[in-house]
Amino acid sequence: MESIFGFISPKILSQILVGLSRTVILFIVSSGLSLILGVLRIPNVAHGSLYMIGAFMAYTVSHLFGGGNMGFWMALVLAPLGVAVVSFAAERSLFQFLYEREHLMLLLLTFAMSLVFGDLVKMIWGAEYRSVPVPSVFQGYINLFGGLPFPIYSFFLLVIGPVIAILLWLLTNKTKIGKISRAAAVDREMVGAVGINVSWVFATVFIIGCLLAGLGGVLVAPTVSVTLGMDHTLIMEAFLIVIMGGLGNVWGALLGSLIFGLTQSLGILVWPQFGIVFPYLAVVVVLLFRPTGLLRSTW
Amino acid sequence: MKNPLLRGKLPWVIAALIVLFLLPLFLDRFYVYLAAIILLTGLCATSLNFVLGYGGVFQFHHAVFYGIGAYGTALMIIKSGLSPWLGFVVGPVAAGIVGFVIGVICIRLSKLYFGMLQISLGSLVWAIVYRWYSFTGGDDGIHGVPLPDIISSPNGAYYFTLTVTALSMFVLYRMIRSPFGSALQGIRDNPVRSEMIGVNVKLQQLIALTIAGFFGGVAGSLFVVVDNTVFPDMMFWTLSLELIIMCLLGGWFSFLGPMVGAGIIVLLRTYVSGLTVYWAFILGIIMMLVIFFLPNGVLGYLDRFVKKKARGG
Amino acid sequence: MLEVTSLQKSFDGFKAVNNASLSVKEGEVVAVIGPNGAGKTTLFNLITGVLKPDGGKVFFKGEDITGLPSYKVCRRGMSRSFQVVNVFPRLTVFENVQVSVLAQQKKTWNLFAPSAKLAIGETERILENVGLVDIKDATSAALSHGERKVLEIAIALGGSPEFLILDEPTAGMSPEETTRCIDLIKQLKEKLGITILFCEHDMEIVFSISDRIMVMVRGSTVIEGTCEDVRCCQEVQDAYLGGSDACLM
Repeated sequence: MESIFGFISPKILSQILVGLSRTVILFIVSSGLSLILGVLRIPNVAHGSLYMIGAFMAYTVSHLFGGGNMGFWMALVLAPLGVAVVSFAAERSLFQFLYEREHLMLLLLTFAMSLVFGDLVKMIWGAEYRSVPVPSVFQGYINLFGGLPFPIYSFFLLVIGPVIAILLWLLTNKTKIGKISRAAAVDREMVGAVGINVSWVFATVFIIGCLLAGLGGVLVAPTVSVTLGMDHTLIMEAFLIVIMGGLGNVWGALLGSLIFGLTQSLGILVWPQFGIVFPYLAVVVVLLFRPTGLLRSTW
Repeated sequence: MKNPLLRGKLPWVIAALIVLFLLPLFLDRFYVYLAAIILLTGLCATSLNFVLGYGGVFQFHHAVFYGIGAYGTALMIIKSGLSPWLGFVVGPVAAGIVGFVIGVICIRLSKLYFGMLQISLGSLVWAIVYRWYSFTGGDDGIHGVPLPDIISSPNGAYYFTLTVTALSMFVLYRMIRSPFGSALQGIRDNPVRSEMIGVNVKLQQLIALTIAGFFGGVAGSLFVVVDNTVFPDMMFWTLSLELIIMCLLGGWFSFLGPMVGAGIIVLLRTYVSGLTVYWAFILGIIMMLVIFFLPNGVLGYLDRFVKKKARGG
Repeated sequence: MLEVTSLQKSFDGFKAVNNASLSVKEGEVVAVIGPNGAGKTTLFNLITGVLKPDGGKVFFKGEDITGLPSYKVCRRGMSRSFQVVNVFPRLTVFENVQVSVLAQQKKTWNLFAPSAKLAIGETERILENVGLVDIKDATSAALSHGERKVLEIAIALGGSPEFLILDEPTAGMSPEETTRCIDLIKQLKEKLGITILFCEHDMEIVFSISDRIMVMVRGSTVIEGTCEDVRCCQEVQDAYLGGSDACLM
């Protein structure tokens, strides 16, 4: 190990791992956003709210089950499902009437929804900070190469990320719904013309996208304090990632998340005070040279 | 011009100005403050609408210019030691310059991509302001900006805001009604055709973005006068979307629409948030209702109503 | 006046325009005909700078204008109307034409003079010429299809063009509107001395008003000549009679 990483200091290495575990969260949330953008063409600002709701639901579920390992695993399953139910209700009651509307209006409308969701969360869970304990199996640190501690939970995230990516790949490339939705992204009239109920395809894609937002919320919950407003920062980051990667391209979302997560964590090493600036700078640079994103957009 | 709502508008404008001028005589301090906030927010929304409603440019992050105007003014007053009045020039000019620079970078892109690149550049500005503790005060912002005596009293601040807002609105109105404005509206309606009649579309839009940035900055520097503070949330993206909502609510094809929208939102925020902590919930519901039922805004609705009456009678 | 030599343009490998050539002399009315999808509109887009050609040259009044942006092409005296109605929907008829006149007079940088007092006479004159003066205060979105097609031409005239390109000027018009539109085109040539290049599906119109005709098939120029030449040309007969969508006579 020493020989391979000899030229990289352990500190840089551990920052890279921190960046990668952040990438996992960003990827899970923004791939859902990208899916919805690509197939339904809705720039869904409320996506961040579903992420926040996922985190709050994780809090509730994990406390219902005593906060231990059991609580965490139940949260990991139940909270995204809860978010899926919320998104199903939202899709059938509102979104399904919006598919043909102008982008600016959709952006404003989903922003309005994010305000409503935000206050609903405030009504249900209150404005206090909540915390979800790290499950005991993932508690503690392991010592990295020069003895730098790295949280085990972050390693767990590093495993989850690729799993989700593979599942998404299987879903979009190997399943019928995935193929139909990719076709619908290109030409929805054609898909409707061959007798497929486009409305339900869209509903399914929307729910899967939102489920991912919820899952991101659950996974992030043990690492941050769960609080109101966590949706606002994240949704902006997710949007920038999706734009940077190419609208509607799930792999673009992965690439964008990598860039975003790594520039942030390494930026902190370069210039601690302005670490937060680097990802935004990266987005600007990417868009300057590739105005429609790094990978092929479905738009 | 052909707008029945605005026919014979001059007496109304004068009447409104007189009422606004007399406001401090019979209103409490708090309401005078509120009126000033409405005026400057309205100015900010109007400057946004200059490019959004009249120019058809997806200016998604206008609050950045509002913030830069405010920070530029406040920092100039605090750090330079020069005449404070200079701050009121520096703030808006800085906002105009940033508007130009962001415009140059974004203008190649169309519609949604333009808006998104603008949001990322705007977020970059926000992140810098948010983090640069030693210069901008970071997330605390700057409080108690010292002002020249004449505008430091509540009424002084109000009259200063009223004067500057009225002048700025007049200038913006003239610009919209000028050949520049005509060409801008042509671009909004049909950029390809505009190019084909000899309009340099990108350059025209770029100038418009600079002007919009400048007046957004004017609104920001007025905020320093009225509130004595600046803080990074002034340029957070949520405020930008709120500004767009103001334009939409009032009606973005009418000149005074954004001002009306700003008035409604500011008043609602003040009163509703006094009654409930769930102000955002109510704002969200209002926004949805407006988008579904009043796509042309309040003034757009009134305008059509008046036209219908005029035709019927 | 206009000299187009072996112009080329492809989209994703599809050669929309492939080796199209054309020349128009001052004062002429020249028609471009060809089956649907022959690349007529693409050719016009290439000439007017809406699209950049992959190869070939466009000379206008002796100067190379290949690949110039359309606003610059326009300022050299070339205007066009569009096949699909392409007006300013939120502006009134008067404002539609006025914007064009203002742009021609290079006044679009003027930030403070009121538009309402500028270019009135010029605009009124154009509206009178094309017969839209009665409805000048209507919003253009409220016009009939035929009226909007005429407005198309009026906007193009706002640029005081020496050279005018009309993309299917009578498409979708009623027979009466068509007759009026043809009269208008003849007037433009005779009274204002404008050189006109147009494309049209109706062969009767083509033969009645054009001095010369260029025939395009699959992106290439098949023949360019007088009406007689074209009428007798075997290849044209084949292209049309063998083709599916239009009939020559």
